[in-house]
Amino acid sequence: MENLKLAWRNLWRNRRRTMITAASVFFAVFFALFMRSLQLGSYDYMYKNVIESYSGYIQLQQKEWWDEKTIDNSFGYNLKLEERLLSDNNIVNTIPRLESFALASSGSNTKGVMVMGIDPEKESLLSDISKKVAKYHLSADAIAKILASKQLPEKATGNLPLFENVYYDDENRLLQDLGLNVEKKDSYLPVLARYSRIEGEQIKVGEPGVWLGQELAKYLEVQPGDTMVLMGQGYHGTTAAGKYQIKGIIKIPASDISGRIVYLPYDVAQELFHAENNLTSLILHVRDNSDKAIAETSQWLSEKIPDETRIIDWKEMNDVIIQQMEADNVSGMFMIGILYIVIAFGIIGTVLMMTAERRREFGVLVAIGMQKKKLASIVGYEMMMIGLLGVMAGIIISIPIILYGVNHPIVFKGELAHMMEEYDFEPKLVFETVSYYYLWQAFVVALMVLVSLIHPVRKILRLKVVNALRA
Amino acid sequence: MKVLELKNAHKIYNSSEIQVHAVNGVDLTFEEGEFAAIVGPSGSGKTTLLNMIGGLDHPTKGLILVENTDLSKLKPSKLIDFRMRNIGFVFQSYNLIPVLTAAENVEFIMNLQKKPKKERQKRTEDLLNAVGLGDRINSRPSKLSGGQQQRVAVARALASKPKFILADEPTANLDSKSTETLLQIMEELNREEKITFIFSTHDARVVKRARRVVTLEDGKILSDEISKN
Ligand SMILES: Nc1ncnc2c1ncn2[C@@H]1O[C@H](COP(=O)(O)OP(=O)(O)OP(=O)(O)O)[C@@H](O)[C@H]1O
Ligand SMILES: [Mg+2]
Repeated sequence: MENLKLAWRNLWRNRRRTMITAASVFFAVFFALFMRSLQLGSYDYMYKNVIESYSGYIQLQQKEWWDEKTIDNSFGYNLKLEERLLSDNNIVNTIPRLESFALASSGSNTKGVMVMGIDPEKESLLSDISKKVAKYHLSADAIAKILASKQLPEKATGNLPLFENVYYDDENRLLQDLGLNVEKKDSYLPVLARYSRIEGEQIKVGEPGVWLGQELAKYLEVQPGDTMVLMGQGYHGTTAAGKYQIKGIIKIPASDISGRIVYLPYDVAQELFHAENNLTSLILHVRDNSDKAIAETSQWLSEKIPDETRIIDWKEMNDVIIQQMEADNVSGMFMIGILYIVIAFGIIGTVLMMTAERRREFGVLVAIGMQKKKLASIVGYEMMMIGLLGVMAGIIISIPIILYGVNHPIVFKGELAHMMEEYDFEPKLVFETVSYYYLWQAFVVALMVLVSLIHPVRKILRLKVVNALRA
Repeated sequence: MKVLELKNAHKIYNSSEIQVHAVNGVDLTFEEGEFAAIVGPSGSGKTTLLNMIGGLDHPTKGLILVENTDLSKLKPSKLIDFRMRNIGFVFQSYNLIPVLTAAENVEFIMNLQKKPKKERQKRTEDLLNAVGLGDRINSRPSKLSGGQQQRVAVARALASKPKFILADEPTANLDSKSTETLLQIMEELNREEKITFIFSTHDARVVKRARRVVTLEDGKILSDEISKN
């Protein structure tokens, strides 16, 4: 008790230094927690957007498909198989896909594309692709007409050229990009709609028709309602060819995919490729996506599926992304580690100054009868208190900010957002709650304090009273 | 009763080039209740001698016995405890603990000694009253004058009821009025508590007040006289 009191009072002998040191600890803790929250948030977001919305957690595939993605490596799919799969308690639905390559052409433009045969309704179990059908297109022509109409405020007309050739699936985003007040959409939207509205439609199983990624649409210079031709190799060397109406342009964030993707109903794709009843993959939509449940389900299914097929899980399908996340995780920790090392030097500096300027006082205390160990423990308490002050402040202040961030992701707007999208970054910062990480911070700071104490404690234990008194 | 005895004490400093024989064969005995001054020119070995007596430094040769305890036989931590229980220190530059109040400074060693709270408080009050600072018990050292700080230091040295108090030039930093006050207080406490005071000094007025004067020169005792007053 006495020692704690002494330590506490010693802290405030040099208030500014104590505050600066505690503040540096606070900063490190706060930054680490904040960064960690963003990191976890981005991983979570990736899981949701890539794994949950694209690959799913487990798929049934023809054995060779994953290594060689040709239509010949597809497998027969029928109701009996479907029933067998659904008999697993963890599988609530199946989502069929038939995927291949073809040449897409319209007019004089041709491009090699990825053809995705999907069931749009079932696909919506994974992602909101059907909501991504573009409603507006700021073509050069549309921009010229909007400008000529002179019905938008100056700010918006200034912004318009920046967004030339951009597609929008969301009118609020359009208004925000132009710097228009979303609340007043009634006064601006009619003008924008008159010249830039494009009519997208859903594609449906049983009805021929395609969706294109927005970059592909730009390349082929097509609009909804136009037709395009798909040509390629069908099942077992047959010739695949078909002419389809473009029903919609899909706003896909990843630019490389959006430049080469064509969606069509899977039965239409089966027909195109002469692969009736075949699929290249069947996503098994699961109730419980924990590692354990996935493993159990995979195990259970492996004996019930046809010989030509196999079960593949999300880890195998997304190994590149998972590796990227791991690398990002490591580099994040590395950065925080460096930050902590810098802060640790600050703490060491403080403790060195603190002990150097009190050498004489230490000499007096030992002379009049204080044990060196006790003296060392007082200095220890002092540094611990500074550390604690910093950690507590860091945790207490970061909790509400992180919680706020979890509920209100930071969404970038305007040109910056488009720039980020061009580099395939989602223009969004997502936070995630961090739990055990708080303890880690306390642990790391405690460790730093302990390390910073090594030198002064040694100095105290070796203190020569006579020399210290003369100082 | 004999509280302190030095037998053929030597201290030799071996700095890189020259050897300094700071204390050179000193034999001395102090009885309970003495009020003794150690005098001598600068460099004669006063501080070195007091440090050895206080167990802050070990003699190169010879014995220091405090009531039959040979200080050089004590292990370092035992020696610290021994100082806490038996020896009071007053330093030239006061050296109070800056973050503690006058009362807390006085109480400090009694705290280390784990004396009961009641006893500590009573003794602190008595001592601060005795040194004339009863009204400044809650002041931090920085709010006290040099003379007042040194009076607190004397009270602190006395608090643990040591066998003797060592003071290396306690009045060197004080003006003559504060010196006079401090001396009076030291004399009074010496008389009332029967505590031995051993102090070094350069100041002739201080020397005059001592009842015994030990004069050093080049580390040797030049004279050891009982004064008449
Ligand atoms: N740590 C040391 N290393 C080397 N020599 C020392 C050391 N301490 C003291 N001395 C020398 O020992 C001698 C006695 O020093 P001491 O400090 O005891 O003298 P003093 O009588 O207290 O002098 P003053 O009146 O100036 O305080 C001096 O010659 C001094 O230079
Ligand atoms: Mg001296």
